[in-house]
Amino acid sequence: MKHLKPLNQKARQLDGSTTTAEVDEVVAMQTVVQCTATTDPGWEIDMFGSVSGLCQPMESDLYGCSDPCWWPAQVPDTMNTYPNWTDNAPSAAKDWRNLESIYPTDDSKS
Amino acid sequence: MSVKFGSKIRWIGLVAILLSLFTQPTLAADDALSPLPKGEYLLTVTRPGSTLNVIDTNTDVIERQCDIGVAPGPGTVITSPDNSIAYVLTNRFSDVYGVLLDSCEVVFSTQQSQGNVRVKSMASLVLSPDGKTLYTHQNRVQILNDRYQLLPTVIAEFPTDGGLNTPARRTMLAPRQITILDRLDNGTLILGGQDIFLMDPVSGDYSVLIKSLNHEDSQFAPRDVLTVWPMSSNNHEFTRLYSTAKWLGEAGDLDNAEWLWGYERVDLATGDASSPIFGPLEVALFSGTTRPQHRNEMYGVLNFLKVFDINTKKELRSVAVDHSYYTLAFTADGEKLYLLGADADVAVYDPDTLELHKVIPLPGDGSLANGVIVKR
Repeated sequence: MKHLKPLNQKARQLDGSTTTAEVDEVVAMQTVVQCTATTDPGWEIDMFGSVSGLCQPMESDLYGCSDPCWWPAQVPDTMNTYPNWTDNAPSAAKDWRNLESIYPTDDSKS
Repeated sequence: MSVKFGSKIRWIGLVAILLSLFTQPTLAADDALSPLPKGEYLLTVTRPGSTLNVIDTNTDVIERQCDIGVAPGPGTVITSPDNSIAYVLTNRFSDVYGVLLDSCEVVFSTQQSQGNVRVKSMASLVLSPDGKTLYTHQNRVQILNDRYQLLPTVIAEFPTDGGLNTPARRTMLAPRQITILDRLDNGTLILGGQDIFLMDPVSGDYSVLIKSLNHEDSQFAPRDVLTVWPMSSNNHEFTRLYSTAKWLGEAGDLDNAEWLWGYERVDLATGDASSPIFGPLEVALFSGTTRPQHRNEMYGVLNFLKVFDINTKKELRSVAVDHSYYTLAFTADGEKLYLLGADADVAVYDPDTLELHKVIPLPGDGSLANGVIVKR
């Protein structure tokens, strides 16, 4: 890396933005600004290290967790990027087959 | 003959169409405009979209449904002091919509996001005691070309006579990670987040009222609080559950600890705050509240509906429920208990016996929505 030199303003900012001695300020985020796009909820355990304390059935908990981006790595980001993901599935337990995989598109930018 | 017969059919068809034109809209208009009869109602919001369900607590049937016409989430509802308008935080956590219960007309809405600043509010909305001012807690991010810039979080103030797309009149710096709001009778705001804060709505000054995450007691583990459901329509008190562990040996030794449920309480009339333990922690509970007319009884729910005696810290009753319910609401007399949230129904229980009386199907999932009891 020592042979690379920044040529423009943004590169100079990047180059100077961090040093090993610098401690970044950590800001607690309430809402996730972007989530990712895999739907596979249920990767969790309850407070006793088991699964019996999780919501039952799992579908009853799907929107309660996906709406506020509780599972940001496991369902589409309906808060910002894919707000219509659940439009055809008003009841997750009955309509879950209508919850499709999502793919990035040009118009899915928030 | 065939022509005449066909002509007659066409005339009959035309008359039928004209009749339907005159009758159907009239019925629909009558339906939409009829004032809500006097009584007590449970309000809760579900999918599809944002449907405000108005359930008669006398008959336990849905009296009317108001489609707000926006996307869901979270569906947190509060009401004006005269219970004529329901204010619903929805549309993907973006804005608050004021719905006239008599007509389902949307008479107020906020415009929280402005320019390239996107605003989301979790379940945090509350009205001033006179109903003239709405407050929300805003999580703001500035969307720039190459990055998102997090902005300070604020309490935003909106005039409720502002009509549709009302922008914030004023903002006040506030703590981060606030999820619910409430207020004392004198108008002081209650902010529920990692701790519970009081905020002067005039000066914007705030201070910690109850330490939750930052609770300092070497005998106990830090509190764990799930705080998405405002509960004060039940008993005119702010309540939220917390779980903790009392160390029986070394601090931090999870194998030698007593697991406990407690609740943080703020009396909305006096501002008195407390956070008593009320029972053993054996199963997860998402929310809980005390029962009107039986203030020593704490009801909590998730996969079980449980009742505790706050004074003796003993479990009184427990029953498994058909599926997970996130939250609950009582009639004003405390004689009926409604379980709701998560799935697409409301379950009606007898709080004395925990016997299931009825299941009221809803048009879609309640998700994070709360339940509010109003008298009209």
